[in-house]
Amino acid sequence: MKKYNILFLLLFIVAASLPAQTEKGSIHIKNATVITITDGIMENADVVVTDGKITGIGKSLSTPKGAKVVDATGKFVMPGIIDAHSHIALDAVNEGTNIVTAEVETGDVIDPLDVGIYRALAGGVTATHAMHGSANAIGGQCETIKLRYGTYDPDELKMEGAPRTIKFALGENPMRVHGEGNRLHARTRMGIEQVFRRAFSEARDYMAAQDDYAKTKASNPQAVEPMYDRRMEALADILRGDIIIHCHSYRADEILMLMNVCKDFGVKRLVYQHVNEGFKVAPELAEFGAMASVFADWWAYKFEVYYSTAYNAAILTRNGVVTSINSDSGDYIRHLYHQAGKTQRYGQLTDNEALRLITLNPAIQLGIEDRVGSLEKGKDGDIAIFNAHPLSVYAIPQMTIVDGIVRFDINEDNNDMRLSVDPENEDAMMLDYDHDHRCMEGTAEQLFKH
Amino acid sequence: MRKHSVRWLLPFLLLFPVLSWGQDDRPPVTRAYFINNAYVVQEPGKVIDLGAVIIRNGLIEAVGKDLKAPLDAKTLEGDSLYVYAGFIEGLSHTGVPKPKQPERGSRPQVKDPGNPPNDVAGIQPERSVTEMLKADDKSVADMRKLGFTAAHVVPYGGMLPGQGAIVLLDGDNGKEMVLRTNTSLYSTFQGGRRVYPATTMAIMSKYRELYRQAEQVKGNMSKYSTNARGMNRPEYDEVLEAFFPVIDKKMPVFFEVDDIKEVHRAMGLAKELGFNLALAEVSRGQLVMEKLKSTGASVLLTMDLPKAKKEDGKGERGQGRRGKGKGEKAKPNSGKAEKKEGDKKMSPEKKKMMAKAAARRDASRKELEEQAAMFAKNGIPFGFSTLNVKPTEVRAHLGRMIKAGLTADQALAALTTAPAKMLGIDQMAGTVEEGKIANLVVTDKPYFEEGANVRYVIVDGKPHEYEVKKKKKKGPSDPSAVVKAAGEWAVTIKVPGQTTEGTLTITGEAGSYEGTFTSDDGESRSLSDVALDGNNLTFGSKFEAGPQTISLDFDLTIAGDDIEGSVKVGNFGSFEVEGSRTPE
Repeated sequence: MKKYNILFLLLFIVAASLPAQTEKGSIHIKNATVITITDGIMENADVVVTDGKITGIGKSLSTPKGAKVVDATGKFVMPGIIDAHSHIALDAVNEGTNIVTAEVETGDVIDPLDVGIYRALAGGVTATHAMHGSANAIGGQCETIKLRYGTYDPDELKMEGAPRTIKFALGENPMRVHGEGNRLHARTRMGIEQVFRRAFSEARDYMAAQDDYAKTKASNPQAVEPMYDRRMEALADILRGDIIIHCHSYRADEILMLMNVCKDFGVKRLVYQHVNEGFKVAPELAEFGAMASVFADWWAYKFEVYYSTAYNAAILTRNGVVTSINSDSGDYIRHLYHQAGKTQRYGQLTDNEALRLITLNPAIQLGIEDRVGSLEKGKDGDIAIFNAHPLSVYAIPQMTIVDGIVRFDINEDNNDMRLSVDPENEDAMMLDYDHDHRCMEGTAEQLFKH
Repeated sequence: MRKHSVRWLLPFLLLFPVLSWGQDDRPPVTRAYFINNAYVVQEPGKVIDLGAVIIRNGLIEAVGKDLKAPLDAKTLEGDSLYVYAGFIEGLSHTGVPKPKQPERGSRPQVKDPGNPPNDVAGIQPERSVTEMLKADDKSVADMRKLGFTAAHVVPYGGMLPGQGAIVLLDGDNGKEMVLRTNTSLYSTFQGGRRVYPATTMAIMSKYRELYRQAEQVKGNMSKYSTNARGMNRPEYDEVLEAFFPVIDKKMPVFFEVDDIKEVHRAMGLAKELGFNLALAEVSRGQLVMEKLKSTGASVLLTMDLPKAKKEDGKGERGQGRRGKGKGEKAKPNSGKAEKKEGDKKMSPEKKKMMAKAAARRDASRKELEEQAAMFAKNGIPFGFSTLNVKPTEVRAHLGRMIKAGLTADQALAALTTAPAKMLGIDQMAGTVEEGKIANLVVTDKPYFEEGANVRYVIVDGKPHEYEVKKKKKKGPSDPSAVVKAAGEWAVTIKVPGQTTEGTLTITGEAGSYEGTFTSDDGESRSLSDVALDGNNLTFGSKFEAGPQTISLDFDLTIAGDDIEGSVKVGNFGSFEVEGSRTPE
């Protein structure tokens, strides 16, 4: 009895002395087949992570002090998978009340309690692009998050230092929500283009007024600063090149249209999402330097998505477009390694090209390639361990590590990993787990009212 | 038909003059009171046994032992009674009539949902709650009879509903209740109904924008007031000006939050913008205690709790799939949920899983119940906010928190000294001390003990006496009691000066109840929307008063063969209803 009490007390002291941020860890993964993405494959190699950063890849490395040791004999180690288009871990996806909402940020509505985070970890995913939805032509700013499941603090999921990104959307979604649903503009694809042009022009005026104030305030103490406007601030930051556009798109004509708009306003950082007709304009995308994040083989769910092909990723890749495969779903996010594998059946991409689609390439699209996306010294300790080659249909993720901390371990995989339980209602989580986490979440009323 | 309607209407028509003249215009005989031989809890941990309290002209004149009754004082027999400082609601809507809820699915008529007028958007920080107060709102009497004597009240609304005031829970009109105005800028994460800002991300953005603009305009105005020549005049904006005292840290922001994510969001805004923050309706706050401690935000814990677990494990809402408020709620004790599960012939594996899930729900409930105890244990001061709790649930919920480890003294502190300090009224309220406002609660047993009855609540020196109700044969606490709504009930509607009696007849069964109300003169009307949720019986009715139709909304609680609650009569207010089952 007495002994128990002391043990308990000890546990309590340890728990209390832990820092509020359980962020970085050290781990030594031994004797695995290591797929580095940037430096080939190493057999029977170790990966060492110290305080969240990769400090060694090679043979017979020494274990850092206090590091967890994982025997990965016969297993495959790859960089943690990155999903460039996801809506998990968000309490809100669409602020669908206005066709331009550049000022809102999904970073303000991160839901660390979403069990979807754990499910994604179970698919080897370590980082996602938590995007605003596609209801608005210019949607909200997005947040790149790391799947540090277990924290209750929304801010702890944010990938510190990741560049700012923003969601744009072309075509039917914004037209239906605002043109048909709210009976306002834009009702046509032409109208959507004008939304961009008007917004960027207003932002230019806003910047000019600010510059004017900055210039005159020294000589004229009575000058009044233009009124602070968060929407204009965000749009101006796009024009300044501080925010990467990630644009929901399907049709080739619209894809060209947005590139033209961006050229006119000097915007260079542009990534297309879905981009099902990207194969038609791949050389143009490559020339502009625009990137593409696509589905492996998902289409025909609405009219503008009929003209599609499973060869899309391969065609884009072969044309020199930095391409990734994304999920846009709380379900597909667990099978991104399968999705990547499809590009070998449809397009004969090499193993490394296929795996780049879910690692280094999405990292480049999010501007975080210096931190994640490959196994290299100095990069973050974000790692997925598989029992077989990740492109094998028999591959099952065994362990997922974020910043050197094991966040998923198949051997300690409880049936119920929820962080938050409704005390009053049974949670039918198995039945409707993919119901949220979609692009058009929260806009049903606008869409189906008419 | 017409004649009948008028007859039924009569009692309600009669009540208007009664109400408008006031119930009793004569001044009280004396404003001095003497409570003797009582167990006086001056503040948590400080007690006078066989003590006395003298009240005069609204203030506590003396507290102590062996005090003599002043000649002009009315004596309130205090033998074996317990005297506490009146309780304080840290944040509530008490005394503020609830605005009519818009119909579900309806959308506001605005030209552009992306740019709605401020009142539709819920951006009204310039409003003051003092303009909305109604002393005769039922909530005032409801909270008072529990022992609450003061409240920090705020308007209903969206993200910025307006400014709060501290009020006493008594008075002939709203103005008389007010102790202090402009005490807070009340904020919530309640979005607009399909208008901007609809989501929390838009609210966060709008909040930042308004705050920064207010800082900007404030700067311009002070510049303009010292040297206007050659400067464009700053535009007047009442919304932005409402932020000025917040920017000067003369007024705190009281943020209503729901769960820990919103605690983090509110703390984030406060840190970023630099305002003084108080959090209200905090739940599961033990998960953010460290951060709360370091930011120094004031904390008001929610008094709302999930439904209690019944001893036989049937207290849950059963098969609902996230169905909060949607669809038909399973009745507790109906046995329906179990039957369903039995039908499915669960595999042992699934049974085990279901049991585990149920255990997690229990743990989650426990986590919510022990929040207050955890805060007390960690030395974080807290009060309670009562925005979301029904008055009828307050004492039961306090009881559950105490069962979960909160001590009676800690509970008392959270209801008296802590909120008084937090609200800056500790000079005038929160303890039983000479010179403070005579706000007291008098009970026949220690307040937090089961079965304790409130005997007097004294507000601003004016006593309200409460009769102790006879013990009921089948109390509401009997968990095996089956709530039966069907049958005949003899009920009394207590309209001041004009009490109506009648018979309430409920027929049918769950989901398809019907009913009639027959007044004692034989007039009968049918009831609409008769519904039973747990032991809560609700229904409506209508009557014509000349050209207009007045609706009656009954909200009653069934306890065995007793029924009580209230009826809301159009815009005229709420009145008490009570009755008992007519034996079959």
